[in-house]
Amino acid sequence: MVELTLPRNSKINSKGKSYKGEKSASSDKAPEMRTFKIYRSDPDSGENPRVDTYEIDVSDVSMVLDALIRIKDTLDPTVTFRRSCREGVCGSCAMNINGANTLACTKGMDECGSGDVAIYPLPHQPVVKDLVTDLSKFYEQHAAIEPFLQSDDEPEKEHIQSHEDREKLDGLYECILCACCSTSCPSYWWNGDKDDGNEYLGPAALLQAYRWLQDSRDDEKSKRLDYLDDNFRLYRCHTIFNCTSVCPKGLNPAEAIAGIKRMMVERAK
Amino acid sequence: MSDQSASTPLSPHLQIWRWTVTLFCSITHRATGMAMYAGTILLTIWLAAAATGEAAFNTVQGIYTSPFGLIVLFGYTWALFFHLLNGIRHFVWDAGYGFSIPASRGSAWAVVGGSLALTVAVWSAVFMLGGN
Repeated sequence: MVELTLPRNSKINSKGKSYKGEKSASSDKAPEMRTFKIYRSDPDSGENPRVDTYEIDVSDVSMVLDALIRIKDTLDPTVTFRRSCREGVCGSCAMNINGANTLACTKGMDECGSGDVAIYPLPHQPVVKDLVTDLSKFYEQHAAIEPFLQSDDEPEKEHIQSHEDREKLDGLYECILCACCSTSCPSYWWNGDKDDGNEYLGPAALLQAYRWLQDSRDDEKSKRLDYLDDNFRLYRCHTIFNCTSVCPKGLNPAEAIAGIKRMMVERAK
Repeated sequence: MSDQSASTPLSPHLQIWRWTVTLFCSITHRATGMAMYAGTILLTIWLAAAATGEAAFNTVQGIYTSPFGLIVLFGYTWALFFHLLNGIRHFVWDAGYGFSIPASRGSAWAVVGGSLALTVAVWSAVFMLGGN
């Protein structure tokens, strides 16, 4: 359902706190103070979310994730976020920075403009704490498209694939399931989590569906298309392009989804 | 964990999203699509009035050519051109082209600019040639 406003328990209250840091001890450059406004939510407290303000020296900080770690280290150890690889391969630190989803570890401070840096969790998701959202639904949708090889052949060694066929998977297999794309999509906001069966799978799951539809070794194309041929699962994509705009790996879910739609037309001929 | 939704907050979405031209074109495509229903009703009323008689036609014509009526007609014209041009954009996508980020943004700006230009062109022609 389209709900333009937030539920009562999710509205941001005005009780945000302010923290001011000092010049970085590890920096030999002139201090460069920068303000971060960070979404804070602790469901256990029973209070509504708030936005806290942190001012830190970023003269020796290159990525937004480094700034978050500095805030947690020096100002407020309760700031909660996921992070792991710090080089854009694990997808853990996906969040909304200055109004667009991205990975905090690959988002440079020099890409954040000159004003305050606003950091929120991935949009329209249940918040576990602060910047950590519950992605159970997102993973279920990925599982639903059966993201594994289903072949009738049982070769003695590996499944053989030509170079040309392998190249069809470029731009598809690189997805790290960070959820930036799906949670950027208004269609996914309104139809991504529904119990009545009329649910949109979202750009990430559909990109992976297309990845297996394009795989020359897979023999279940028809079954895969049958599952996707649905008003909601596939056709809630209206080519809004938020997914492709935000993908931190530079992939193109909008194009992949259009590819699935064309496969539907071609098989109906 | 949708069963916990009573206590678990929902993260902000529209409230924090930074708008892009492609997002604008998508929602405006739908809005102009709905606006054209209203516009078609206006056209039907005008035709029905013309079929009814001179008095009825003059009444409707008077309302449509009032300053407020002209603003509505101007908006209807723009909605028509926007929906037409963005529809062509969707058609090109359906054929499998124009999916790069520069292409999608460029075509979005072209639709915005083109629809405004065509609207101005049509109404310039109306005022210059019509001279009612």
